[in-house]
Amino acid sequence: MKRSCFIEKSLMGTVAFLRESVFADDYAAKKGFLQARDPRFKTAAVFFLVLSVLFSRDIPAIAVIYLITLLSAGCSFINPVFFLSRTWFFIPFFTLFIAAPSVFSVFTPGEPLASFRIGGFLLQITRQGAAGALIFFSRVLVSVSLCVLLSLTTKHFALLKVLRVFRVPQIFVMTLGMCYRYIFLFIGIIQDTYTAMKSRCGYAVSPVKGQRIVAWNIATLWQRSYQMQSRVYDAMLSRGYTGETYLYGGFRAGVRDVFMLAAAAVIFFFVLWQTYCSS
Amino acid sequence: MANILFELKQAGYSYFGRFPALCSVDLTIMQGAKTAVIGANGTGKSTLLSMLDALIFPDQGSVKAFGMPLDDKMQENSDFTMAFRRRVGLVFQNPDIQLFCPTVRDDIMFGPLQLRMRDSEAAKRLDKVVTELKLASLLDRSPCQLSIGEKKKVAIASVLAIQPEVLLLDEPTAGLDPQTTRDIIDILVSENLSGTTLVTATHDLHIIEEIADTVHVFGPERNIIRSAPPEEVLSDRTFLQAHNLVHIHRHRHKDAGVSHAHQHDVKHHH
Repeated sequence: MKRSCFIEKSLMGTVAFLRESVFADDYAAKKGFLQARDPRFKTAAVFFLVLSVLFSRDIPAIAVIYLITLLSAGCSFINPVFFLSRTWFFIPFFTLFIAAPSVFSVFTPGEPLASFRIGGFLLQITRQGAAGALIFFSRVLVSVSLCVLLSLTTKHFALLKVLRVFRVPQIFVMTLGMCYRYIFLFIGIIQDTYTAMKSRCGYAVSPVKGQRIVAWNIATLWQRSYQMQSRVYDAMLSRGYTGETYLYGGFRAGVRDVFMLAAAAVIFFFVLWQTYCSS
Repeated sequence: MANILFELKQAGYSYFGRFPALCSVDLTIMQGAKTAVIGANGTGKSTLLSMLDALIFPDQGSVKAFGMPLDDKMQENSDFTMAFRRRVGLVFQNPDIQLFCPTVRDDIMFGPLQLRMRDSEAAKRLDKVVTELKLASLLDRSPCQLSIGEKKKVAIASVLAIQPEVLLLDEPTAGLDPQTTRDIIDILVSENLSGTTLVTATHDLHIIEEIADTVHVFGPERNIIRSAPPEEVLSDRTFLQAHNLVHIHRHRHKDAGVSHAHQHDVKHHH
């Protein structure tokens, strides 16, 4: 691949990824099992399950929680390929790299499971090292899957409201919401600027020139965002904003929500008991 | 006799104290009036609207709204500020500035909720504007997924939900297709018929007769150079051309292409 294409591919790749996350809102609009749940109870249930995964030292227990996650995704009409590709790449993949050294006896001494030589140096994989790495990887994978499932099945503004329910400071929630809103506006500006640049410079841009253009883009975007923030603040003032934001309530919980939260809490306390009391 | 809502006396404003944006403006806006502000780019129309909405305050002269002065001290009087925000709404030129919430629903409810209305009242107002402006299908969408026309309508809805007595509009029809322009004019005319005072800054001369009883023309000195009924201003082609307010089209007359100033007829023949 030409280096000049690298800049275009990076820009367009980032833009496409962010755009995809907007269209992921379509999943939140479907009439599935998790979409129908009250976001407060759903978030609390996911929180309990993530805690269960973090406290558990038992692979089968983590596997059961992962199975529950996959079943919930299925009942919520989420495309399995889309879900798995979102949850298996990036964070779990990098976690695997981070955890890989710990399987060797150099870092985790213990009972040898397999050994091999690289350049005359003996490397041993230990049972304890492999088990530790597997638990670490499984915890990350299941936690990421649960969080992705929550974000896919909940409209992002509902998630922001849930943050307020859980007493996250208002200014943080408001800023988060506005970041989400304006990131797409700036994506549009980046795309338009890049298209305008291509129409003037042509497709073949030298890597050095390309880097310079990206730097200009960043500088221009910074200026635009700075100008825009004062206008947005004016627009907020104009409609009565005084520093404290008031949001619309409107959550309704049902028996199923309570049942789901209770089930997650039971799993959590069972894991706690299994980890700290059963032996 | 109608009440005076806004009264500007020799009002002026400079950005950073150096770049004059509005100079010695005398203006009175009566309750229920339809006022249009026209002028070439950079003549101070948007600055005037920001001043009327108390987002900026004059550094020369004075501005009064509802009999009270609009100045820095206004911010100390939270009761007046809140009452003012309930009575005056501004539709910004760029809807992306106005629509900062995650969804259309949140944006429309933002004003009523910040103005301390109860959830039930805010929901009622949402239903009302959504029905009137036919926005039901957009409610749960993100503003970034809307077309420019839809954004403009939502921006207007977000201000109408406050049910202001005075509606300030900055280029409400700029860059819109004819049908959306028609829809927006209908909304504004209907609001005025129900008692809302309209102040519109625009370049679209063809909408002025419908949305204004009085037109104030801003000149290059960033002051009002003429105030008159729309028919009088629109019929003065020399004046419009001199102040960069009329389109120039190139026509082909018979076989020769000629360029000359041309204004579209505002009266149509059917």
